[in-house]
Amino acid sequence: MGRFAIGRIVQGLVVVFCVTVVVFVTTRLVGDPVKVMLPFESTPEQRAAFRHQIGFDRPILTQFREYIENLAQGDFGNSLLQDRPTIRIVLEHLPATFELVFAGIALAVLIAVPLGVIAALRPGGVVDRVSVFLSLIGLSVPQFFLGILLILFFAVELQWLPASGKGGLDHLILPALTLALPAVGRLAMIARSSMIDELGNAYVQTAKAKGIPHWRVVGIHALRNAFIPVLTLTGWELIRALAGYSVVVETVFAWPGVGYLAYQAIQDQDLFLLQTIVLVIAVLVVFVNVGIDILYRAVDPRIKLA
Amino acid sequence: MRSHRAVAFVVGMIAVLAAAMLAATSFAGSSASSGSVTIAIGGEPSTLDPLVRDDGNERAVTQSIFETLMGRTADGKSLYPKLAIAAPKRVAPSAWRFKLRPGVKFTDGEPFNADSVVASVKHVLDPKANSEQVGYLGSLKGAKKVNNLTVDILTKGTDPILPSRMYWLRMIPAKWQSISDFASKPVGTGPYVFSEWSRGDHITLTANPSYWGSPKPTIQSVTYKFVPEGSTQVAGLAAGNFNLITNLIPEDAKRAPKAIAVRSTEHPIFILNARPGPQTTANTKVRQAMNYALDKNAIASKLFLGYATVDAGQLLSPSAFGFDPKTKAYPYDVAKAKQLVQQAGATGKKVSIVGESGRWLKDRELIELAAQSWRSIGLDVDVKFYAFPQYLNRLFDQKNRPDVVFVSSSNELYDADRPFTTYYELSGIGASNSDKQLQTWIDKARTELNVNKRAALYHAAVNKARQQAYFAWLVNYEGLWGMSKNVQWQPRSDGFIFLNTMKLAG
Repeated sequence: MGRFAIGRIVQGLVVVFCVTVVVFVTTRLVGDPVKVMLPFESTPEQRAAFRHQIGFDRPILTQFREYIENLAQGDFGNSLLQDRPTIRIVLEHLPATFELVFAGIALAVLIAVPLGVIAALRPGGVVDRVSVFLSLIGLSVPQFFLGILLILFFAVELQWLPASGKGGLDHLILPALTLALPAVGRLAMIARSSMIDELGNAYVQTAKAKGIPHWRVVGIHALRNAFIPVLTLTGWELIRALAGYSVVVETVFAWPGVGYLAYQAIQDQDLFLLQTIVLVIAVLVVFVNVGIDILYRAVDPRIKLA
Repeated sequence: MRSHRAVAFVVGMIAVLAAAMLAATSFAGSSASSGSVTIAIGGEPSTLDPLVRDDGNERAVTQSIFETLMGRTADGKSLYPKLAIAAPKRVAPSAWRFKLRPGVKFTDGEPFNADSVVASVKHVLDPKANSEQVGYLGSLKGAKKVNNLTVDILTKGTDPILPSRMYWLRMIPAKWQSISDFASKPVGTGPYVFSEWSRGDHITLTANPSYWGSPKPTIQSVTYKFVPEGSTQVAGLAAGNFNLITNLIPEDAKRAPKAIAVRSTEHPIFILNARPGPQTTANTKVRQAMNYALDKNAIASKLFLGYATVDAGQLLSPSAFGFDPKTKAYPYDVAKAKQLVQQAGATGKKVSIVGESGRWLKDRELIELAAQSWRSIGLDVDVKFYAFPQYLNRLFDQKNRPDVVFVSSSNELYDADRPFTTYYELSGIGASNSDKQLQTWIDKARTELNVNKRAALYHAAVNKARQQAYFAWLVNYEGLWGMSKNVQWQPRSDGFIFLNTMKLAG
């Protein structure tokens, strides 16, 4: 188990390094940050002086070598615009993203699993049809649109909840719901199909024949086995939320997390900040993956982590 | 029995969620109490140091903390002395002398004087500061203290618009370097004092009780929220979370409790490649036809819903120096356009447009609309939309000029110099013509001190460019602001927010 975890972490670090290289190269190939940052009407001399100041006039290999050397010493570099350590800026925004992502995914699991299980008990029944219908809607509606609809309904029409920003629990509800609903669609479908499979197994019949109460058979024996695919998908949802969906949701709700920060960094072409954001997210994704692998074993001891 | 349990479970879950929502509503923020306003801006300021970044979000906040030597009227038409006590005088070909207002203090108690001006100029020009604002300051070379309240601003050559540039350069304390974390806790002479910056969420300013100028601030506390999405800003305004929003689009104007439009300095435009060469747009008749083919009035009334005015064929608003009132837009005349294309033998010939999407208001719509208009007069138009950084590579590529490139130009200095040097003059980074005469006029105007002669040079340039159709001019659109009913404020043509000009009703 320990060796396995270490192996996975080493693999993860290789992934992180590759991501670093790709981000470093693509951000520099995509465009010239100097053109975006300086006013359009700046003279070529002003541009050249600025480019020199931020070190972009040096060979890309020299820049990369320095970047890696600094990284090895824990120096992620300063933001081009804010002139503060990028890692500090990212760490300032990370708690808000965690809060949103964990609330969103927890909400998704809390809604999706019971929905999927109930649907599986009577495939083709009313609850099943309604849940499939709702799942499809959740899956199909683009998140930015869903977010704006929720704002219009709950913040503007009903005036129950604030439209944007971070504050108390009330501020968390709409963005978490926006993050959760598409995930509910996917999770409920998986929970349903995997539960239907389990309920068809011989051990369920045996358990019933032994007179074990129905709720125990469904809620403990079958659910535990049906939970493996749900867990896999939950991990995937967590990763997707951290590494992608949060950008949309945080931007729509002006939620001050890393996704919102990434959006601003892209807009401003703050490449150094963008590099650190991607690096930190890549590390997180690797950690979540290793975490999920280890959780598998806790759920199903038969799984060999080799 | 089973299904009963299932239903009970679902009902239970819904009840828990509903209870959570209802409980949360009691915390939901209501609209601002009297004496405070909340303003939604498009993003978090990168810094609050007013001299390093070219960042509209930073300006929105620091404009009320820091002040400038010269002020500008809300319509943009004229300058007046602000921290200077009178208009500056030229004391040498490359030196302007400013007399400073006595008795002004920074909010930390430090006096405003010649040392502050010297320190501000030094900071903005310091290579280490890497200031993005140098683009606005052109020929600025340095500042020399004459006495405590007199200072000479030095330029590299003769610079007739130096006073306009001094509406841009904000004044910081001479001892700014000894103020701890100045870029996060700024100190100025303005009507508002920095109070709090909660990173990622908001910045709060409070009224400066001992503000020297007028009008005095009447709103005690102002909070800026960072909201990038325009539709979220409108929703927040409608829900009473914000009192003023900055990103309002024409379609949303009706949803705002109060919307005020002000003619801005923003002009979207197509640069046509008029250099000698094989491209279709090398022919003057084709370029003129492309202008006749555009229905500018329809663009203003249908696309911008009336929140735009037709550009009078010159990339300048009437408030800008150099605007020629005699020059008019090309009328909309499809028959004439078709005829010109035929005369030029350009029917069916290729024209490629380089564009981008999402940076400027309705950019994609304008580009698509122009492409369609040009197709209808017989040109074979092809449009390429690029991501912004690649688009800039094409815009600034002087070796391979695109046939047509879309751009939008704003004019913060209210003077023809910057936009003309950039797009009209053949050596400009975004220019696509080879007109030496145009260059001579613009070069001369840059250093001409006689106001009438200078205006005449720009008028000549405007006329020549219009007649040669070096561009396809479109409209000058309006800045739109959404407000809650209780806010009384008149937006400015430069889009700056001076909080002391804002009041709360009732």
